[in-house]
Amino acid sequence: MARIEPIIGRYVHVDYAGKDYRIYYEETGQGIPLVCLHTAGTDGREWRHQLCDPDINKNFRVVALDLPRHGKSIPPDGWWKEGEEYKLTAKFYSEFVIAFCRALGLEKPVIMGSSMGGNICLHLALNYSDDLRALIAIEACEYSPGWWLSWLHHPHVHGGEVCATSVFGLMAPQSPDEYRWETWWYYSQGGPGIFKGDLYFYSVDHDFRGKCESIKGKIPTYFITGEYDFACTPEMTKDTAAKVKNSEVIIMKDNGHFPMSENPENFKEYLMPVLAKIRAKA
Amino acid sequence: MDEFGSQWMQQWQKCVNGDAVMKNVGRYFDENVLLDFGEDQAYVVQFRGGCVDRIVDKAGPEDRYAFALRAPKSSWQKFVQRVPPPMYNDIWAMAHPLHGRLKIEGDVQVVWQNLRAFTWALALMRDVAH
Repeated sequence: MARIEPIIGRYVHVDYAGKDYRIYYEETGQGIPLVCLHTAGTDGREWRHQLCDPDINKNFRVVALDLPRHGKSIPPDGWWKEGEEYKLTAKFYSEFVIAFCRALGLEKPVIMGSSMGGNICLHLALNYSDDLRALIAIEACEYSPGWWLSWLHHPHVHGGEVCATSVFGLMAPQSPDEYRWETWWYYSQGGPGIFKGDLYFYSVDHDFRGKCESIKGKIPTYFITGEYDFACTPEMTKDTAAKVKNSEVIIMKDNGHFPMSENPENFKEYLMPVLAKIRAKA
Repeated sequence: MDEFGSQWMQQWQKCVNGDAVMKNVGRYFDENVLLDFGEDQAYVVQFRGGCVDRIVDKAGPEDRYAFALRAPKSSWQKFVQRVPPPMYNDIWAMAHPLHGRLKIEGDVQVVWQNLRAFTWALALMRDVAH
């Protein structure tokens, strides 16, 4: 008997700022919409374990999209004529996530994102609380400098190898080799300059210092950070969360910056109580 | 065996040169690198085709190298642990501006060009220590 996973992949056309974006997403399950945001320079494959987990998808409609220019979501028409390098901004990112949710008709979704997907949760908490149910901000903090580096998109450096290797140490040594190298593999496959462009958001445009206090706390924000994350350390997360109303902090032992893909079993131990709390409030 | 001493370095050289993955991913890694472990222990390591060709003890004025990694011995001791503690498990973790536990000097382009092979070779130091 063939082992077939429950994941279904589809494309949805999202209109944003007068452009048509053909967006790939994968989904499983039924229930509360749980939209999963991948990390910089990769795609929704990072969420395959959570998509396939019956303990999660029996109560949640788990949706993992590839942002424009990532994975199977092709760039918008005319990208090759752009006169400036790609730079992801907080405005585009947050507005596009909301536009995607609306295109799929998702009602009050939970947004769960890691790294840049965690950082964008702060912007979503500030500007879109009325549209959302809860935020799960993984490896998130108010300011994460030091990653917008020219070497990640440079003609003298192999982009795939360097992007992937630059993030390898963000993973915990306790995470299984199989999954750490799977994460490396995803990172080796981004389009030219996409990881770097995402890091413009991660390290430059996402400077949320002085803004955390403005989040009203209408919906809960759950911060989850791995102890091996050197880009957003547990201390950085705790410092941010202390300023965000209606938030909780969870620090994962033996996990790093990519918990959903580098050590999904360990991550599940920390995620399930959060999902239970969200269900209890539904 | 003195950690990071000459004998220790020779053991590491054996580990690198006996490693099949290193021969694959380091095929074009032909650079000289200075490794400074603090406390007057520094070496110029000559990588050729994924092997450590030669280790120069007490580098002098004639020894050329593309880049240098410098960190106090206490940082390297954490790095080479079988399970290194957070912030010490990777040279980029240690060198990241947020942490500054290791300095990378010289032609940093060469570092980024060879990051996969170089970090693989350094990780093999954990096999020497244990």
